[in-house]
Amino acid sequence: MENAIEVKGLAKYFANFKAIEGVDFEVKKGEIFGFLGPSGSGKTTTIKILTGQLDPTEGEAFVFGENVSHLKNPKARKRFGVLTDNSGLYGRLTIYENLKLYCELYDLPLSKIDEAIGFVNLKEESKKKVATLSKGMTQRVVLARAILHEPELLFLDEPTSALDPVNTLHIYEGLRALNKKGTTIFLTTHDMQEADTLCNRVAFLNKGKIRLLDQPNKLKKQYADATITVELTNDEKRQLRRDAAGAEEMYQLMKDNRVVTVHSNEPTLGDIFVKVTGGELV
Amino acid sequence: MTFSWKRVNAILQKDFKDFSRNSAVSIIIFLPIILAAIYGRMGIDSLQVHFMTINMAFAMVGTYVQCCLIAEEKEKNTLRGLMLSPASTLEILGGKSLLTFVLTIVVVFFSAYLSEYRPASMGIVAFAIILSTLFYIGMGTLLGLVAKSVMESSVIVLPVIGVFTMGSFITAWTEKYPILKVAEFLPNIQLFELAEAVEQGAGFVQVFSELGIIGIWIVVIFALTVVVYRKRMVD
Ligand SMILES: Nc1ncnc2c1ncn2[C@@H]1O[C@H](COP(=O)(O)OP(=O)(O)OP(=O)(O)O)[C@@H](O)[C@H]1O
Ligand SMILES: [Mg+2]
Repeated sequence: MENAIEVKGLAKYFANFKAIEGVDFEVKKGEIFGFLGPSGSGKTTTIKILTGQLDPTEGEAFVFGENVSHLKNPKARKRFGVLTDNSGLYGRLTIYENLKLYCELYDLPLSKIDEAIGFVNLKEESKKKVATLSKGMTQRVVLARAILHEPELLFLDEPTSALDPVNTLHIYEGLRALNKKGTTIFLTTHDMQEADTLCNRVAFLNKGKIRLLDQPNKLKKQYADATITVELTNDEKRQLRRDAAGAEEMYQLMKDNRVVTVHSNEPTLGDIFVKVTGGELV
Repeated sequence: MTFSWKRVNAILQKDFKDFSRNSAVSIIIFLPIILAAIYGRMGIDSLQVHFMTINMAFAMVGTYVQCCLIAEEKEKNTLRGLMLSPASTLEILGGKSLLTFVLTIVVVFFSAYLSEYRPASMGIVAFAIILSTLFYIGMGTLLGLVAKSVMESSVIVLPVIGVFTMGSFITAWTEKYPILKVAEFLPNIQLFELAEAVEQGAGFVQVFSELGIIGIWIVVIFALTVVVYRKRMVD
């Protein structure tokens, strides 16, 4: 299967500061790929390079098999959509008017506007001026603009950072539906839960380098320690190793009818991240 | 390079809505008209005065308003959105200039009408004014792209407006300071010389050099604008 994104030895220096360094990865067509990392780890920098807003210092990046320098060709830009923290809207125009401009720029029927507004759950606000919207609403308008043309590839830089749980779930559903229709999604987030529920594969970025890259389930299995937690009738919690000695102890406990619950101790993506980077998530 | 009027028109319509709701900037277009009306009432009929109001229209509407509109697109990161859309450089810069182009022409027309300027050859003067408008809008776009914010843009635009509207005063000093002779090549001086020649009965052929110099200014400023714009596409 062809790759939507291919990155080889990518590096970006700002003066002497290395924002990212030696970054290699590929995103397959149809994937939801999570790019995780603490603040300042280089997530936005990578998205900017992949969308032609920033030239890499070293290495190469390909989108749909073409070097990102080709994104200077306006036609190539039709194939992707972007949401980043520097995506601006016209404050004096309404939500509808903002999206109308983009509908015309992408040569789409105006019916797409209502679809996009429904996608982000803003039907009732569509006549409001953007300057009067809350932060979460503004973020949803930017998202509506990014998905308006149902791009083949969608770059989302922390798309749900300002959203409440209900809207977040609504957006997840929408993104999954879009993905089913064939949109490849490249997503950055601080939210490990989000990455876990949405992403087929995740990359952990720290200090400009990729530390881990795999499917969330595989990572969790790989980093699971060999214990289970058993909760007993006297509220005691006991860690048992998953070996012969542990089995022996478990057998005894169950025989004495003392076991209330049993949990396998698989780590969350957050736990793994902390382990791999030796730091806390921000 | 692709070019679609539909996209240019979409940006124009957006700009029109945005501009009409932005009273802080839109009010500026009335200044030259008011000034012209006052001069007209006073019955002053000199070419100098007519062109003072016309130059003011160029500077305030063509350059200052354009500069503010571009700087705001940059400051609010909406220019980035346009750059990431399928719109080409030409469509974006064209669309972003069309509103101020029409406004400048309308304001110049009304100013000239109110100050009772009736050129001997409407055709030549109108053509020269359209050319000049292109130059002033190009300058506004360039300054807007260079400025880091709307605040900064309104500061850097002032001295530039000064040079291009005060040009006629500079030429008065050329006897004393010969170096100021270069000022004679400024587009506003060229426009004024053209207007004077027209009053003396000159035709298109006699004012060719003035039109040519204004044309060179346009080419230079447009080339600079496209270079700076392309630079702004990558941070
Ligand atoms: N234009 C720039 N000039 C200088 N340094 C920059 C520039 N852009 C980014 N950086 C630096 O590069 C590093 C990576 O920034 P980046 O924005 O990619 O981080 P991020 O992972 O997106 O963080 P966050 O989660 O906070 O959005 C940071 O240390 C930042 O200060
Ligand atoms: Mg970021």
